[in-house]
Amino acid sequence: MRYVLHRLAQSVVVLFGVTVVVFLIVHLVPGDPIRIGMGTRFDPEIYEALRRASGLDRPPLEQYVSYVGRAVTGDLGVSFRSGQPVTHLLVARLPATVSLAVVGILIALLVSFPLGIISAVRNGGAVDSIVRAVSQLGVSLPNFWLGMLLILLFSSTLGWLPPSGYTPITEDPVEWAKRVIMPGITVGVVAGSILTRYVRSSVLETLSMDHVRTANSKGLPRRLVLSRHVVRNALVPVITVTGTQIAAILGGVIVVEVVFAWPGLGLLVYDAVRARDYPLLQGAVLLIAVIFLLVNLVVDLLYAKVDPRIQLGGDP
Amino acid sequence: MTRPTMFRLAAGLTLVLTLAACSGGGEAVDMNGEQNGDQEADGTAGGTGGSDGDADAPAAGGTLVAAIAGEPDQLDPHVTTAYFSFQVLENVYDTLVEPDVNLEMQPALAESWETSDDQLTWTFHLREGVTWHDGSDFTADDVVYSYNRIMEEELSPSWRFSSVESVTAVDESTVEIKVGSPSPNLLANIGGYKGVAIVQQENVESGDVTTAPVGTGPFSVSDYTPGSSITLEANADYYGGAPQIGGVEFRFISEPTTALASLQSGDVQWTDNVPPQQVASLPGTEGIELGQVGSNDYWYLALNQAHEPFDQVEVRQAIAFAIDREGITEATMFGNATVNQTAIPESSSWFTPYDKYSYDPAQATSLLESAGVDPASIPMEIMVSTDYPETVQAAQIISSQLSDIGINSEIKSLDFGAWLDEQGQGNFDMLMMGWLGNIDPDDFYYSQHHTDGANNYQGYSNPDVDALLEQGRVETDEAARKDIYDQVATQIADDASYIYLYNPDVVQAWSSDVQGYEVMPNRAIRFRDVTLG
Repeated sequence: MRYVLHRLAQSVVVLFGVTVVVFLIVHLVPGDPIRIGMGTRFDPEIYEALRRASGLDRPPLEQYVSYVGRAVTGDLGVSFRSGQPVTHLLVARLPATVSLAVVGILIALLVSFPLGIISAVRNGGAVDSIVRAVSQLGVSLPNFWLGMLLILLFSSTLGWLPPSGYTPITEDPVEWAKRVIMPGITVGVVAGSILTRYVRSSVLETLSMDHVRTANSKGLPRRLVLSRHVVRNALVPVITVTGTQIAAILGGVIVVEVVFAWPGLGLLVYDAVRARDYPLLQGAVLLIAVIFLLVNLVVDLLYAKVDPRIQLGGDP
Repeated sequence: MTRPTMFRLAAGLTLVLTLAACSGGGEAVDMNGEQNGDQEADGTAGGTGGSDGDADAPAAGGTLVAAIAGEPDQLDPHVTTAYFSFQVLENVYDTLVEPDVNLEMQPALAESWETSDDQLTWTFHLREGVTWHDGSDFTADDVVYSYNRIMEEELSPSWRFSSVESVTAVDESTVEIKVGSPSPNLLANIGGYKGVAIVQQENVESGDVTTAPVGTGPFSVSDYTPGSSITLEANADYYGGAPQIGGVEFRFISEPTTALASLQSGDVQWTDNVPPQQVASLPGTEGIELGQVGSNDYWYLALNQAHEPFDQVEVRQAIAFAIDREGITEATMFGNATVNQTAIPESSSWFTPYDKYSYDPAQATSLLESAGVDPASIPMEIMVSTDYPETVQAAQIISSQLSDIGINSEIKSLDFGAWLDEQGQGNFDMLMMGWLGNIDPDDFYYSQHHTDGANNYQGYSNPDVDALLEQGRVETDEAARKDIYDQVATQIADDASYIYLYNPDVVQAWSSDVQGYEVMPNRAIRFRDVTLG
């Protein structure tokens, strides 16, 4: 518990650093949110009025201080584009983002564990070659193309699934499932392919360890050796990669969101970048930073659960 | 914190920040535009058309699902400038007058109007018995509030009120607008689009207008799922009669191939997000109707006259002769556009016939010779925007056509934000862009070509044109006004202030179940008269 509190305290410092970096970068990137908001028809008087209204006419340092001042109270400001509170916009995207991440990572895990383990056990065999080729393909497949292919097959040709859109699980779980499955597969194939390769190499490494040889020579059944001595020990690096994948999907998968018209964080961030919507952009990056920090914390806690040799909290 | 943790955090943030930096730098991957399908999804959905076109046909009176290419930024009509917002708001709000299918102004909230003899006072007689979506009565005070809000807060449409001096309510149903000078374009300015809609004071002051606007239009906003959809329901008390459909759901589908697949599978019944390369294959597809009309939008090239040798008219004309408009239109728009050497399309009553320029490299070369300019010495950076993919494609063709007459060019593609910055600072040799949604000729020419025009980035200055543009603003005789703008259009094209390219078509597709829908040349999407079969 002390460890967790310590980590959370550190996170606050990191987040503070993130606000500085993000503030600098968004303001340094060329492009003026007011000009973009006005579209092609520019008018100097309207421009000045809009600039005053947005607070962008104030000195940058003053803008930053007031931003951080409000941010610590949970007020991330108001989006330039939409005139709505940033927190509200971000929270609205979470259900779809979390749905996609959970389904995508489940699919990835379901695929990668069996494939990775078989591939490692049959190292060099035909199954191994096939798994390696398929996972290589999965890593390099463009999301966009895979998504389109799924739509053309399951929606346009077979007519089994709706091609796009999102229904909240609370509203209609069946409709939710029908709409989440294709984007989930698209995300899951890529994440699953990456994971398969880690599971394989990690299991392979563990298989050659002394304790496994000992277990084998004791005459333990192969199944037991695998489950008790190999897989468990191979988990640590796999958990790390899984954590990174989850965090990446939670941070938004723009291409998949575009193809399936999925209302996730990625598209929101993309639109915010294009409009130079500073408050929304800062808020979104802050949220993504929080997601990464939390996922990392969970990953580190899991290490200790999986491998008792790892001690937490022993900070120098 | 452990080192790997820091690293992972840094890696994650780098992703986001690279995205931000990329867009600034120039090579942003565009995933938004209506046209992006032509690069990324070439032909993927070809030939699968209409396999089960009317699988989920809704019952009459049901909800029409329309796929639009992006999410509205917000729904306050006086604040947003996004087309996606106006697609929705067209069905929610009313203006005093509104354009018909020929873009002529017709009565809407105002039943009739007249002008004083000196042309300085306009009196509008409002329709009686109109109510807001919340049931309260619409009155002249609402009109006064709306127009004053735009003018006093200097909101985006305030340039449309530049000649207006005061707006007053004479009685409950009469509004008087006083103008400083005769304003023949007043009707177009207060009715041309829903950015000048009449809003409800209470709704604005509560702040609800950004997500839950209250209008007087044929539909009211009933549900808004951010990132996903906006649902409207029919307004039974609409002054023009209750719509026959129960409602409209606007779904945001930015990828054209997905939008078309959604239409073909029956998941949506209408879309304007059709991959341009597939337009030609749609007619004849079972269960799908295609609507295609010429629009008032136009795309053009502008040469920066602050950069030599573009200050010389011969050089600008040479470039107008050096480009093949037909070729550009075919390659970038797949033919879904009409070549035009001026701004206003033939369908408009303000059209000026003009065809001085043809694709004639020899003529271009001899013009450069007579100007004494060596083509190899001409600096030519063509500035286009990745947010408008047609400009990037056109630039590639233009670049190769310019090299035929010896001009070496480079293409600079920026995201729209950075593009606007560079344009504003005059950092370009040539740029390509479009003007959308103009109706009155003053909208087409004044701001762009008057010496003091706010959007005259090319630095064009011709005292004759300035004088004509000022006359055109106050000339109330329609024939005389037309004559003025004919002269303006001809002079601007002769001087190659803009080198005009084409007017794109409005392309929309819908299920055969949708009846009574009419495509508007200003891209206004009106579902009030639609029925579902």
